[in-house]
Amino acid sequence: MKMVKSLVLAGLLAFSPALGMTQTAFAQDNAASAESAAAPVAEAAAPAAAAPAESAAAPAAAPAEKVAPPPRMKPTEGIGMPMPGEITIQKQFTDTGRQALWMHDWLLLPIITFTSIFVLVLLAWTMYRYRRAANPVPSKTSHNTLIEIIWTVAPVLILLVIAVPSIGLLADQYKPAPKDALTVKVTGYQWYWGYEYPDQGIPEFVSNMLTKEKAAENGEPYLLAPDNRLVLPAGKPIKLIITGADVIHSFAVPSLWVKMDAVPGRLNEKSFTIDKPGVYYGQCSELCGARHGFMPIAIEALPPAQFDQWVLSQGGNPKGKAETPATTAAAAPAGAPAKI
Amino acid sequence: MATAPQTLAHRNRRTMRIALLVAIGSLSMGFASVPLYRIFCEQTGFGGTTQRADAATKVNVATGHTLSIRFDSNVTPGMPWKFYPEHRTDTVTVGARDMAIFVAKNMSDKPVTGTAAFNVTPTQAGAYFTKIQCFCFTEQTLQPGQEVRMPVLYYVDPKILDDPDNKDTQQITLSYTFYPVENGKKPS
Amino acid sequence: MTTTTANPDDFHGSHAHDDHGDHLPGFFARWFMSTNHKDIGTLYLIFAIIAGIIGGSISGLMRAELAHPGIQYLHAWAQMMDGPDASLDQAYHLWNVLITAHGLIMVFFMVMPAMIGGFGNWFVPIMIGAPDMAFPRMNNISFWLLIPAFVLLLGSTFVPGGTGNGAGTGWTVYAPLSTSGSAGPAVDMAILSLHIAGASSILGAVNFITTIFNMRAPGMTLHKMPLFVWSVLVTAFLLLLALPVLAAAITMLLTDRNFGTTFYDAAGGGDPELYQHLFWFFGHPEVYIMILPGFGIISQIVSTFSRKPVFGYLGMAYAMVAIGVVGFVVWAHHMFTTGMSVNVKMYFTAATMVIAVPTGIKIFSWIATMWGGSMSFKTPMVWAIGFIFMFTVGGVTGVVLANGGVDDVMHDTYYVVAHFHYVLSLGAVFGLFAGFYYWFPKMSGKMYNEFLGQLHFWVFFIGVNLLFFPMHFLGLSGMPRRYPDYPEAFAKWNAVASHGYEIMAVGMLIFFVNLIWSLAAGKKAADNPWGEGATTLEWTLSSPPPFHQFETLPVID
Repeated sequence: MKMVKSLVLAGLLAFSPALGMTQTAFAQDNAASAESAAAPVAEAAAPAAAAPAESAAAPAAAPAEKVAPPPRMKPTEGIGMPMPGEITIQKQFTDTGRQALWMHDWLLLPIITFTSIFVLVLLAWTMYRYRRAANPVPSKTSHNTLIEIIWTVAPVLILLVIAVPSIGLLADQYKPAPKDALTVKVTGYQWYWGYEYPDQGIPEFVSNMLTKEKAAENGEPYLLAPDNRLVLPAGKPIKLIITGADVIHSFAVPSLWVKMDAVPGRLNEKSFTIDKPGVYYGQCSELCGARHGFMPIAIEALPPAQFDQWVLSQGGNPKGKAETPATTAAAAPAGAPAKI
Repeated sequence: MATAPQTLAHRNRRTMRIALLVAIGSLSMGFASVPLYRIFCEQTGFGGTTQRADAATKVNVATGHTLSIRFDSNVTPGMPWKFYPEHRTDTVTVGARDMAIFVAKNMSDKPVTGTAAFNVTPTQAGAYFTKIQCFCFTEQTLQPGQEVRMPVLYYVDPKILDDPDNKDTQQITLSYTFYPVENGKKPS
Repeated sequence: MTTTTANPDDFHGSHAHDDHGDHLPGFFARWFMSTNHKDIGTLYLIFAIIAGIIGGSISGLMRAELAHPGIQYLHAWAQMMDGPDASLDQAYHLWNVLITAHGLIMVFFMVMPAMIGGFGNWFVPIMIGAPDMAFPRMNNISFWLLIPAFVLLLGSTFVPGGTGNGAGTGWTVYAPLSTSGSAGPAVDMAILSLHIAGASSILGAVNFITTIFNMRAPGMTLHKMPLFVWSVLVTAFLLLLALPVLAAAITMLLTDRNFGTTFYDAAGGGDPELYQHLFWFFGHPEVYIMILPGFGIISQIVSTFSRKPVFGYLGMAYAMVAIGVVGFVVWAHHMFTTGMSVNVKMYFTAATMVIAVPTGIKIFSWIATMWGGSMSFKTPMVWAIGFIFMFTVGGVTGVVLANGGVDDVMHDTYYVVAHFHYVLSLGAVFGLFAGFYYWFPKMSGKMYNEFLGQLHFWVFFIGVNLLFFPMHFLGLSGMPRRYPDYPEAFAKWNAVASHGYEIMAVGMLIFFVNLIWSLAAGKKAADNPWGEGATTLEWTLSSPPPFHQFETLPVID
């Protein structure tokens, strides 16, 4: 019993020699598996460019005129990603995110900190004042109706103070998007994400995690950076319609205060507007099998003009309502990679 | 409690029987939740469950309000079908009947039978989205290479206009996911 | 087999109650066919200690892997488990097996057996002045059902469960990951294990309810029962109502997996969300099942060491009843991100926050019990005070998580992990240690070592806080749960947490040293080592109590 624990302790102290070896094996294996995951997609879409800095998934139908995609945006330190040693919620880039962050930082956090410290001080004082040396004869009091009413009513009042903005926050967060919102279909697969732009006629492309080497080459955080990003316009309302293909996944981007489950056989929607251009990272947030921890999400928010350029580069129609490519779009899920 | 031991044993057995009955009742409620949950969803539109009406249903169409309807299609991985809506979006007058067409094609060389799961978003619109006729009510069998156009006849209940929870709803998305009907996998 | 020293030989002639009828059965009959509530309680405690060592070691493996970014040992462990050519995916699957096993073991095989089976069995009959449980043989069955359940769960680790060996579904066993997503017998074995453990607990609940309702000594009215008995009574009702729902839910998982039904499969008209509703309808009361007996234990200890009766006794008792009742109508706060409509979220937000009120009553009543008292800080009291503060910290983060709109960023992150470890690993477990030190002299007839007990507390306290507090930071900055690897940004607090585990492990070593030393060489314990504050009936018996107590029923005035 204790042996196991001491073994673990010893292991913790002496892990370094093994580290180098396992690390290498990990990276290689991961690269291989990422390729195999991406391979079947290539049948539906033209073979993707090998250059890692290419954010584009090659469209199935070649566009009439070739438009170069905007350059892959570099992430900014501290924006849309966790910071080393951070102890707070990530900086927010949506209205409802800021509202929720305010609620946490300025309402909930002070209340819970105050409550905890209040209880701690009360405990400490009681322990000091009523220790046996200081108070050898205990009182016999075991009732006090007034104080009992106070400590029932006071929490109720505090909870009311919390509940009112909390209900308002929910209402704002789940306000449906206007009908002209850009709609993107997000599908969770074991273990990658698929994105489709039904109105722009951009068929589904998939997003796999970058290997450690490629992430480093791109200057992106490993385990957060995928090859193809979900490209969205900044400053415009967006509606994601989210579903799962095999098991439940969860589409989560902390810096946009977005988390919505991708459930097979049903559709969920989530609406938001991103304040400003940037790269916002997220990770799958519902246990979905072996590579649950290795299907990251990246949203690249572009200025509207550049977003249109990106849509064109994908063979899509930025004005929306493209009807013909819908056929190819619908074909994509059928041709999507099977389980590995 | 200074009663004869028989009496205590008797009372104990009675309490045990009651307690076990409670447990069995709770177990039954667990199983009964399957139909109850379905009924609850159908009645309240919980989770975006759509409503169903027969062709004779009369609704007031003079609302003048329109809503955008979006159609979404999915095929479960491994099912050899193409399945997509003919139009991605449509605008309907609240209360008026409309028809949407979905196209399905069997890409394999075997007949394949499929059945569709469905819901609408935002989920609070489920109680008002009413289907009169839908390919999702029954199983569909497609011969190898066969392509069919499948209609959905629906309307949006005008009561949605009085629902404060739907005051911001401008677009309803209707989503289908096709699953193959496998041997032995029967709908519960 | 370390705590089996409730050896009646030690106290022959020491007490008036044991003067006749102590025909001790032989070893096999005594421990394998036991019908004595104290022996069965001892068996439960031994079982819980063994399960706790296994579950705790698994968390050690996890903290070792998470100490640094990158995959350090997981691949090597997978090669040990699944053969030398285990793939990296199998290693990742092993991670999911570890988190699943840790959760299930700690919930079903450590906390529940120790709280209810161990202390409940030992002290509920004594505290109400009953000679034994109402159904001694059923009591024995309850315990022995746990063994096959535990063996099935451990055995599932060695059979295929999808990507690799073992059940990697998380303790929640969500469909469809647990149905179409996990081929192989491992998940079936884990589900069967839960069935058996559940049956064991339901039988135990029936037994406690019958015992408490029918076998109280003359004068021991419901409103005079010690709060620990109240807590077990409420817990038994929660078990009776919640566990059958789990049984139904996982039975349907089993038929979905093996017999072609589609209760949770959209392909056949089912709904995976239904499983989550059923699971959490059980799962939320389950967390109160784990903590309520702890509340009871803390009430006894605070009263004893303050030398004062519990403040607001009725409020305390009915606060537990309220927590139990409200606990049944808040389940979907575990499902805020599943796409429920906003009205449903608002309801569950509000309902969940209501629980803070009776919980607050309990915290303040404990402090009010100390207020005006004459407190001594023996080991059980130190653990109890630690419990009160740590449970407060865990409770207030629960209020944060109750807000559906705020939960969107915290759901399934380490913030949730921190929260439930503060209420369980620092709450329930502190309650367990408090109870263990409090009743150890009574159960064994030996005193524990006070210095080692205090040292255990401080080392463990520092360790677990270092282990779990940084998890709040990790969760706030976005680190998801159930990840074997993480971006560099999360390295600092993960390293701190792993060091916290090391300190906690040292604390556990101190506990085991104390346990063994006290059993072997501890001073003989007095019948009531705690003095005038200890007023419940167990302190009127010898230490350890006679094999059969209360042959003449005590009368409570």
